[in-house]
Amino acid sequence: MKRTIRNVMLTLCAVAMMAGLSWADTLKVGVQAPITGSYANEGQGIENGVRLIAAQINAKGGVMGKQIEVIPCDDQGTAMAAAICAKDLVNKGVSMVIGSYTSTCAEAAQKTYFNAGVLQTSDGTADSLTEHGYWTFLRNSFPNSAEAAFAANYMVNVKGYKSIAVVSDFSSYAAGLAEATIAEIKKAGGNVVTYAKIKADSQNFTPVLTNIKSKKPDVIFFAGYYSDGGQLRAQQKALGIKADFIGGDANDNPDFSKLAGSSAQGAYIINVPSPDALPYDIAKTFIADYQKTYGMMPPSIWGLMNIDGMRAIIHAMEHNQSFDTKKAADYLHNMDKPLEGITGSISFAKDGNRKGGAYVVKEIQADNSYKIVHAQ
Amino acid sequence: MDIFLQQLANGLTIGSMFALVALGYTMVYGVMKLINFAHGDMVAASAFVGLTIYTQVLGQATSLVAVIAIFLLAAVAMACVGILLERLAYRPLREAPRLSAVVSALGASLVIQNGIMLIWGPQMRIFPELVPQVYWDFGGVVISLIQVIILVLSLILMIALYLFVEKTRMGAAIRASAIDQDAARLMGINVNNVIALIFVIGSSLGAVGGLFIGLYYRGITFNMGWQYGLYAFIAAILGGIGNIPGAMLGGMLLGLFQAFIAGYVSSTWADAFTFILLILILIVRPTGLLGERVAEKV
Repeated sequence: MKRTIRNVMLTLCAVAMMAGLSWADTLKVGVQAPITGSYANEGQGIENGVRLIAAQINAKGGVMGKQIEVIPCDDQGTAMAAAICAKDLVNKGVSMVIGSYTSTCAEAAQKTYFNAGVLQTSDGTADSLTEHGYWTFLRNSFPNSAEAAFAANYMVNVKGYKSIAVVSDFSSYAAGLAEATIAEIKKAGGNVVTYAKIKADSQNFTPVLTNIKSKKPDVIFFAGYYSDGGQLRAQQKALGIKADFIGGDANDNPDFSKLAGSSAQGAYIINVPSPDALPYDIAKTFIADYQKTYGMMPPSIWGLMNIDGMRAIIHAMEHNQSFDTKKAADYLHNMDKPLEGITGSISFAKDGNRKGGAYVVKEIQADNSYKIVHAQ
Repeated sequence: MDIFLQQLANGLTIGSMFALVALGYTMVYGVMKLINFAHGDMVAASAFVGLTIYTQVLGQATSLVAVIAIFLLAAVAMACVGILLERLAYRPLREAPRLSAVVSALGASLVIQNGIMLIWGPQMRIFPELVPQVYWDFGGVVISLIQVIILVLSLILMIALYLFVEKTRMGAAIRASAIDQDAARLMGINVNNVIALIFVIGSSLGAVGGLFIGLYYRGITFNMGWQYGLYAFIAAILGGIGNIPGAMLGGMLLGLFQAFIAGYVSSTWADAFTFILLILILIVRPTGLLGERVAEKV
């Protein structure tokens, strides 16, 4: 407790000193993140990352001569605190806000930032975030529909599977991803031989798999969660179904391999890469710096996505030679050349969605580690 | 044809697990006329106990001896829990109205389920791969080693139980207690011991079933007992509750039925059709497939 108080005091002193030293000439960057609460781990990852990149930019002379000043606000992962944070950050005169981690919090704060003309970049994946028409909002992750397009392209064009079996459970996430993927497969000219639904947690998937077996698919795409995915993979192997297995992002959990046991090897999982697996040089450098500064790995890729959002906004300001947020947004919505990011190249569509996707296909190895076999 | 045979093999595997669990319901009902609703949760608990024995007692050794030790230790542990359950939850209510005992059974079910959650946590626990993944392909029909083990071991246990009940003195005592407890007592049978024995046998068979679930599906959750308990309960009623061969038959039939419905109709409808089947059989044969028409004691 004492340490916490001391840390808070030190932080306050540091903030006060920074504010005092550069009272007029700072670029104020707000961080809205769940720094406490159930997602504290992710929220702190975002704040730490933003502080680190700000310090790095400041060391190089700042943004067009201005030093970056980081102003954090804890939204606790709740919509109510998020709305308060939005007002608070706007009052403090930030020109951009990084975060929040959850779609709910980002959505609760969106309108305030839009009214104030403050740019906001968040990793929320809910499709609704970009459906309000706010020019201030820039999504630095990819909506669920992007994963479907990537998966379909990988299966039809990269792997050249002739017949695809799609499996999902009844949840809105899984069924939504499965249906979007089927639509994309058909658009790409692929052939979906069967779409089967399983009951989540029912454990016995052999009847469904036996049916799938009779359709002789080249691949089984599973859009559900890892707890079913691992068992599905094990039972697929036990039934001697030779097809490849591709799991959606909810299968990216160590328990998948544990459940599938020795059958896990050779299964593919589609997701954004975990921080340690990012293949880009800029990512390796940044993560090494992060580890040096904080003594641990970034908790997940989401904090890095947010940092990419921030880098993109700063890049736009430098390109425009102006701190005007509207001009920056206009540039970002019409970038002719994407910016190289920690999480892959970054550019935005007119509606504020991040273009493309940084999805990768990971193949599970004999020791249950991942090997990236295809990247977007 | 190979699809049909494959579904048959799948159905027999899960059917034998249902049958093992169903025996626990049917034996208790046969003697005590009580549905032991806690039995499904005992099955779930046995999977967790087996996992703990593997990690704590055996130090994660994977060998044939280790697997046998897990089965024996878990069966003994669950037999003790079974005796305890009977002493605490059912014996004090033996003279009470039957509804009280049913409520007590439901309470015991909740206690065990939440106990598992408190001890092992709410998240899914994962069984190690103790049985190597070996498969044989018979012209398109693939059968795995674990399926063979489950089927063979279940059959051995069921035949042994049948012989025990039909051919031994203790078995005769069980049968006598099932027909009329008062008369059995007058014949010099210690009915308390018989009931304790019933719980020992039922719980250890359930423990074997729970370990099969863990070994076959690998993922175990604290609330899975409800699902398996319900299926086994249906299997017991299907075969004629109180009737030991009936529970075996009911379990096998239910497993096959579920495999074929899920395979040929839809897995979404498997549960619905299972209950429709139950209703139909109860309309045609109210005492179940092998149940005898016994005059109800008034």
